Amino acid sequence: MDFWQEIFMALSRNKLRTFLTGFAISWGIFILIVLLAAGNGIMNGVSEQFSDKSTNVYMIYSGETSKPFKGHGTNRSIMFTDKDIRLLETEVRNIDQVSPRIYFNGFATFNDKSSRVFMSGVRPVFKDINNVKMMEGRFINELDDKNREKVIVIDESLRDKLFDEGTFPLGQFIFISGIAYKVIGVCENLEYSSGGNDYVPFSTLKNITRQSKYWMLNFIVTGLETKEDNEAFTEYLRTKLAHLHEFDPDDTSAVYIRSRQEEYLQTMKIFNTIQLFIWIIGFAMLISGIVGVSNIMRITVKERTNEIGIRKALGAKSRSILASIVTESLIITTIFGYIGMWLGMIAAEVGGNILAKVQEGKEISLNIVPSIDIRIVLMATALLIVCGVLAGFFPARNAVKIKPIEAMNYR
Amino acid sequence: MIRLEKINKTYFGAQPLHVLKGINLHIKEGEMVSIMGASGSGKSTLLNILGILDNYDSGDYYLNGQLVKNLTENQAADMRNQLIGFIFQSFNLIPFKTAMENVALPLYYQNVNRKKRNQLALEYLERFGLKEWADHYPNELSGGQKQRVSMARALVTHPKVILADEPTGALDSKTSAEVMQILREVHQTGITMIIVTHERGIALRTDKIIHLKDGVIENIEINNPETIDFTQEIK
Repeated sequence: MDFWQEIFMALSRNKLRTFLTGFAISWGIFILIVLLAAGNGIMNGVSEQFSDKSTNVYMIYSGETSKPFKGHGTNRSIMFTDKDIRLLETEVRNIDQVSPRIYFNGFATFNDKSSRVFMSGVRPVFKDINNVKMMEGRFINELDDKNREKVIVIDESLRDKLFDEGTFPLGQFIFISGIAYKVIGVCENLEYSSGGNDYVPFSTLKNITRQSKYWMLNFIVTGLETKEDNEAFTEYLRTKLAHLHEFDPDDTSAVYIRSRQEEYLQTMKIFNTIQLFIWIIGFAMLISGIVGVSNIMRITVKERTNEIGIRKALGAKSRSILASIVTESLIITTIFGYIGMWLGMIAAEVGGNILAKVQEGKEISLNIVPSIDIRIVLMATALLIVCGVLAGFFPARNAVKIKPIEAMNYR
Repeated sequence: MIRLEKINKTYFGAQPLHVLKGINLHIKEGEMVSIMGASGSGKSTLLNILGILDNYDSGDYYLNGQLVKNLTENQAADMRNQLIGFIFQSFNLIPFKTAMENVALPLYYQNVNRKKRNQLALEYLERFGLKEWADHYPNELSGGQKQRVSMARALVTHPKVILADEPTGALDSKTSAEVMQILREVHQTGITMIIVTHERGIALRTDKIIHLKDGVIENIEINNPETIDFTQEIK
């Protein structure tokens, strides 16, 4: 009891010293937590962005052979046909519907307004593949595709170019290169896109443009969980296509197979590097916090050398002096470490809320959602406390070793 | 009370310094003696050894009949705490403690409880006319007041010996006289008192003056302090 009273007195009578030591600790913890929260925020943003899309989308592109095979030479271009679509849809269990994407560059008019248009011919599944978000009406359906209906889904920007404020686009007919298409839906603009976000049924556009060879096929694959699954599936696809088109199954340039999963994993890799970097910065901050605390502790003990000498002359034992100094530093580091921890978490929370407000309703590519791993926070706080105590202990041990008379005369 | 036999002390620095060269000294219980000498004569070293604040190389030192030699740090601390009261030239009060807390501090190391400690401390402060200053910090006190606080602190544990290192060194002549008068009164309660000083006026107010020169006792001068009017300023 007396012991604690002595300690409390020493701390409260030396407010500035107590505050400076405590501040160094609070600051170290605070910065660490804020940094980690920001790092996690970026990670969360990336994950969220990907979860927005179907992660198991596959895209295959045509390429050129680089190896001779079965009497065929190299540099033979491999294009996809309806045979490929049938093969994938019927023979591969994990694939439901395959959608090619064919393009048409034209000129759209409605009444006296006109605009360039870059439209894609796709099948209904493409809505999920490209994560098309409908604002009004509907997307292309099976019937449209089967009956080669002349219908079109336009995006916001084309709507704004062709239709006046008061005009309701659904059910209107727009003319593109002499053919009338009925508007059945309006979709949101796509964030990153080189165009081609006005959609007509694949069969319709195929018939109009007389295309029978396609350079790109898209489909959704179900049942693949891991990176290994994806790699195996990619190999399987290549073998199937190699068989059909007669190219070497080891020839990776004949067709290019990309999955969004792969893309996701690659992006995650980049962000893991960023997070590692944030960790390194955080760790450096923690170290500088420890160094700061240690220095203040060291100076504090130096300052107290006279006091230590006096106490020893009055009959204090080294052990009791050491115990009180270590307890003092323990109390300071614990209390202020705790304060810093809470301030850091509050700052991360408030910062997150502000960011959420700013990001709300805006076309921002990355939503940053700060979050904190409480275990890491506690570990960092504990580490700083332990270091603070050790930083107080060693100089104090040296100080009590000095002869009392030298300690008293220490300047 | 104090017996020194052939005490030697050498400081080993860049140039070894033989400070005390075989000191023999006997101070009886209840004596009040002063130690004089030029700076470098070894008087402060002698006082530090007497106060168990420093060790010696050879010889024997008996304090209150106990041999003070090869003590552990804790034994030394206990002996200091129980037998010796210190008065320093620079007072050595702890700045963040009040007068009362400073006086009570030695009792803390005797595990006296807080209430008792503060009560005793107040009694001693009252004795030295500082009761109203009990809650003041050292930087709010005058030099004389600080020295009286440190005297109260030295006496609060009922020590056998008071060791005063230049107790008036930082005080003016009027205050010095007051301090000496108090020390004289304390001495009359039967406490052995050793004062290191370089002022002859101070030394004359003790029973004996031990003259130290180059690490040896040159001579011991017997005084007659009863003839001195302690209320007079020290010249």
